[in-house]
Amino acid sequence: MTLQEVRLCGLLLREHFGEVVEKVGKHLLRSGALNLRTIINETGLPLDLVKKCLCVLVQHGACVFSSGRKGPGSPTEYLTSCNRILRILRYPRYIYTAKTLYGDTGELIIEELLQRGHMTMSSTVKTVADRLTQNMEEGRSMEYSEVSSAFSNLVETHFLQRCPPQPGAGGKDKTTAAPTDNPATPAAPAKTTLQTAESFPDCYKVPHMTLSGRGKRQLSTEEGEDQRNAKKPRLDTATHGDEGIYWQVNYERFHLHFRDQAIISAVANKLDQTSSEIVRTMLRMSEVTTSPTAHCTKPLSSNEIFRSLPSSYNIARPILDQYLTLLVDDPMEFVGKAGESGGGMYVVNLHRALANLARATLESVVQERFGSRSARIFRLLLRKRHLEQKQVEDFAMIPAKEAKDMLYTLLSENLVQLQEIPKTPDYAPSRTFYLYTVNQLPTARMLLQNCHKTVANLIERRLFETKESKRLLEKSQRIEAILASLQASGAEPEQLQEVEEMITAPEKQQLDSLKLHINKLDSAENQVDETIFLLESYITGTASST
Amino acid sequence: MTEVKVKKETNVTDSTEVENRIKELCHQFPHGITDQVIQNDLPHLEPQQRAMAINKLLSLGQLDLLRNSSGLLYRMKDVQSAGKMKGSDNQEKLVYQVIEDAGNKGIWSRDIRFKSNLPLTEVNKILKNLESKKLIKAVKSVAASKKKVYMLYNLQPDRSVTGGAWYSDQDFESEFVEVLNQQCFKFLQSKAEAARDSKQSPMVQRNSSFATSHEVWKYICELGISKVDLSMDDIETILNTLIYDGKVEMTVVAAKEGTVGSVDGQMKLFRGVNPVLQPTGLVKTPCGLCPVFDDCQEGGEISPSNCIYMTEWLDF
Repeated sequence: MTLQEVRLCGLLLREHFGEVVEKVGKHLLRSGALNLRTIINETGLPLDLVKKCLCVLVQHGACVFSSGRKGPGSPTEYLTSCNRILRILRYPRYIYTAKTLYGDTGELIIEELLQRGHMTMSSTVKTVADRLTQNMEEGRSMEYSEVSSAFSNLVETHFLQRCPPQPGAGGKDKTTAAPTDNPATPAAPAKTTLQTAESFPDCYKVPHMTLSGRGKRQLSTEEGEDQRNAKKPRLDTATHGDEGIYWQVNYERFHLHFRDQAIISAVANKLDQTSSEIVRTMLRMSEVTTSPTAHCTKPLSSNEIFRSLPSSYNIARPILDQYLTLLVDDPMEFVGKAGESGGGMYVVNLHRALANLARATLESVVQERFGSRSARIFRLLLRKRHLEQKQVEDFAMIPAKEAKDMLYTLLSENLVQLQEIPKTPDYAPSRTFYLYTVNQLPTARMLLQNCHKTVANLIERRLFETKESKRLLEKSQRIEAILASLQASGAEPEQLQEVEEMITAPEKQQLDSLKLHINKLDSAENQVDETIFLLESYITGTASST
Repeated sequence: MTEVKVKKETNVTDSTEVENRIKELCHQFPHGITDQVIQNDLPHLEPQQRAMAINKLLSLGQLDLLRNSSGLLYRMKDVQSAGKMKGSDNQEKLVYQVIEDAGNKGIWSRDIRFKSNLPLTEVNKILKNLESKKLIKAVKSVAASKKKVYMLYNLQPDRSVTGGAWYSDQDFESEFVEVLNQQCFKFLQSKAEAARDSKQSPMVQRNSSFATSHEVWKYICELGISKVDLSMDDIETILNTLIYDGKVEMTVVAAKEGTVGSVDGQMKLFRGVNPVLQPTGLVKTPCGLCPVFDDCQEGGEISPSNCIYMTEWLDF
């Protein structure tokens, strides 16, 4: 909960939910667990506003409540954590992954769930079907069952999970869990949950839903009717048999997927395509058998790997063995050998791979920021742990003056630390050894904080740019509205042209460049988020094992 | 052997003959003889006479007096060097001795003073004298550029003093190192590419992309870019810097003694590698490379809203 994290969370909350939620959220982040009355007093907001903010935060899982510390009678306390709010930064990546894995349907399901926080299956299916139908040609519409099957696929692979029942909400949830003996429904067998946070055993069980029909297209002429229909579906939900069962996106599963992708692309870069395919197969096979915090996957025999390889890669058995041996011998240690049975048992070393990737990230930061010679010194220190200044100069083959300069720069940026080893008890400088060293974990934490600050800077710059050109944007919006209404009411081309000319050419240029800037800033945020993900996974992985 | 017996019987006490005898014994045992040996050889000789003979030889400069763990040793002095010192007095001989003992590492003037117990002025005079006679020379040390070490004239200075192949006249040759760096890397890279294009089984591919340090050394020697002779150790230091650049990886394999390039039964193999990660996302933004990153605050002099680096980057 560093300063930069709180600042970034505040900006994200402001963008997505508004300033009031930002105020409440930031206050909760800074102060820890608070009860309602304290929040009202300290933020100075009226009661109903605070209540609404808390509802929003709870709906999105950013805030949890529990009974107070002083015992069951004391008021409930609300607690937010940074991690959940920082996930908002990663939403585009989740949606994109769903799109690559499950197509447009999956993408829209995930998008809806991310926007709403918690939703029942039936309402998700209906909304998504309507949206898909909207984009299709006239006369075609989306079947609810298609969307439901996509939904169940997502549940099967654990990308979606049920929200845990709130304490004191009653056993209603469990009783409405449908029997799985209906063959028509795509009910998945009850899976043992991988999430320790979700102690609810039916976490991934798709409920039986009596929902059939097609998506409705929303036309502008039917606005009046839709107003009445809008109320109806909400009443219909109760009859679909899955009320009270809310679903949320399972972030951890997405993170495991991202981590696997990072490892596979690293192997592809370092070795070749075939090796990365082998590693991909191994990771796919251990998706459900490995716990998220595991040090390495379960051992897989090379027979199994051979059988599970995609058929497009028909490599012979001995060649596969050679590839596996090469993977094991590689200094990066992505794959390790765990035994000899079944033709050789192989594991993917997850933590070590993450550590190597984090180390490569640190090295690339030093390289880009300070030059390749400083990067050489940095890598040298990473390898050899502790070195004196003279030894650094000798190993790195850099002239003494320059090496000294670079070492001091790195030291001032706190990327390199100094360890004193005294020869005499009085720490006299002439009689002490000074050794330079790099500690990977604290350096990674420092860089993570820098990443957070960078993203916050990018967001602020984006908001600034938008604010600067607010007048221009408003003007262009007005003109677009006028154009649309003129077109709808059937105007002549000259009138349209006149309206269009109200925006002058330099203004248009400015608008274009503004759009370009905002896109650039957005994509930069996503890129920094990738770094954040790597560093975070490394830190949580290492910190938990040490 | 018979000669010895004869000498015993005649009971010679002639001092020159004693000296000659001692000299012959020294020749017999070039490592040096102890007092015990002389006594065994000439048992009838009184210790006083023995001492006189030895002293005479020492003063003539024909015998060297050394001490080892069991006592004193007498060794034949090189005739040539004995001739050199003719005309020099004992002090000079002492200083010369001290410098000679320092071997090719050289010795600092203060250390000469300690070892010979002579005052500073005397030492300096003697050093100047010896230098003019071209018996010793001064070599500037690369570690401390003001320090001068003295060593015998015809000796090659040790690597630790001159810095070895990478230093020419006390200056570190960084361009030379850079050039060698590039050449080694290109050689390993082309080898790796050739192996990859050969499309054989992966094990063979990997093995053929390896190069031993001996091969690289031969390649560099044949290129002829170096005016100085480079040893295999020098090449290995260059290859190590490539490892620290992240461009090359190394493995050690056991090799038969006697295969060319093997050291102590192992061989080092080097191979060009690709980087494992593209430049990370953080450095693609101006903030990742910003020199005033820590001073940047919203509302301050330097802030995201008025950051000039960002403006440049956005208009790029």
